[in-house]
Amino acid sequence: MSIDLAIVQSSILPLLKGLKVTAQVCVLGIPLGIVAGTVAAYFRASTWRVLRAVALSYVEFVRNVPFLILVYLSFFGLPKLGVSMPAFAIGVAATAFYTGGYFSEILRAAFGSLAHGQVQAARSLGLSGLQVQRHVVLPQIFGFLAPATTSLTIMMFKDSSIFSVMSLTELTYQSNLLTADTFAYVEVLGTTALIYWLCSVLLDVAGQWSERYATRYRRV
Amino acid sequence: MFAFLSSQLAVLAPFFHDVIAGAITTILSSVAAFVLGIGIGAVLLLVRQHGGRALAWLVILYVSVIRGTPALIQMLVAYYVLPAVLNLNISPLQAGILALALNTAAYVSEILRGALNSLGRGQIPAARALGMPAFQAWRYIVFPQLFYRSIPPLTNEFTMLLKASSLMSIIAVHDLATVARDATLQTNLPLQVFSATAAVYFAILFIASSASRGLERRVAKVLPNVH
Repeated sequence: MSIDLAIVQSSILPLLKGLKVTAQVCVLGIPLGIVAGTVAAYFRASTWRVLRAVALSYVEFVRNVPFLILVYLSFFGLPKLGVSMPAFAIGVAATAFYTGGYFSEILRAAFGSLAHGQVQAARSLGLSGLQVQRHVVLPQIFGFLAPATTSLTIMMFKDSSIFSVMSLTELTYQSNLLTADTFAYVEVLGTTALIYWLCSVLLDVAGQWSERYATRYRRV
Repeated sequence: MFAFLSSQLAVLAPFFHDVIAGAITTILSSVAAFVLGIGIGAVLLLVRQHGGRALAWLVILYVSVIRGTPALIQMLVAYYVLPAVLNLNISPLQAGILALALNTAAYVSEILRGALNSLGRGQIPAARALGMPAFQAWRYIVFPQLFYRSIPPLTNEFTMLLKASSLMSIIAVHDLATVARDATLQTNLPLQVFSATAAVYFAILFIASSASRGLERRVAKVLPNVH
């Protein structure tokens, strides 16, 4: 078998157009999810039992239901509830929903990783509540969050390929159009995989930088 | 409310057998892919550590590519590209299990590598110095610790695999997600069908993760000195 470079060349432009949509969904959805996850983590730590139960069911739903089913449920189910949203908005919302569930668990683990007594120790040394957060808690939290958030970001970036089932014109959808057109599975899928892989590697490198930056206090 | 709910669920009654069959396909193919994936992952780690520099880099590249591309794309490659390249005929189910196994293998090799690296470096030389042959040192010193440390990440990997198995529906495997899509087309009741499907997935995954917590506790009892 041989590889037809002309097909590779002609598919690059449509694929990059798809990558743009993939990137837009992720750039909007993942930060929104981080906000949602932070709220959920606060709910988990609340003294009000109802809030704790709501946050727990949210997290357990995300952890135990495949992303594909969530996408099907929102794409086909929401119109039945009288909510009509374009595929792009559903993509952003689904990304945010899923990211939030995982991020709240990451946050919980981050706070759990702090050695007990540090806050009291810092307070007894005369630091104010705000100073304790600023100089003791947050620096350590960020060091913990950086690697976990990087892998979550890469996971959601890859999962965005699932939006091809609802005809959102992202990278995998463009790839499906091209293979349906040319039947050149090797060339098109290979190029698509290469684009995904390069982006994941870039995200990983960026994550490693952010981790080094967040843990610079450890190298003092 | 209850009457409404039961009338809604009654609509799904004709699909009961399909749902059971789909759930069985989902579970069995995930288990098969997991077992295969652990085997391949262990081989990958062996090759990476003892196979020489060129092979080690090949394994590192493989792990990076698998972890850097969507499982959905891997599924499509396993179904459309691999049979053409290798010139063999495979069914959608075989392609699906293969894709999941090759995916899991990359993660498993990293999990095992992490567990191995977390063992104290001097343990094997120490065991050898006490007169244990290499096999005994491995059997009684390395393996119990490796096993214990790998259980939580491996079971986490299994739940990720179970979730990813829903992507087999893209290449027409009759798993739970496919059953749900077909039922939606026939009934035009997406809310009911996909909520019920989500509940079935939830039950399967919840049981799997509870079982793994039980396993962790049992292992902790059997191996009290390993932490």
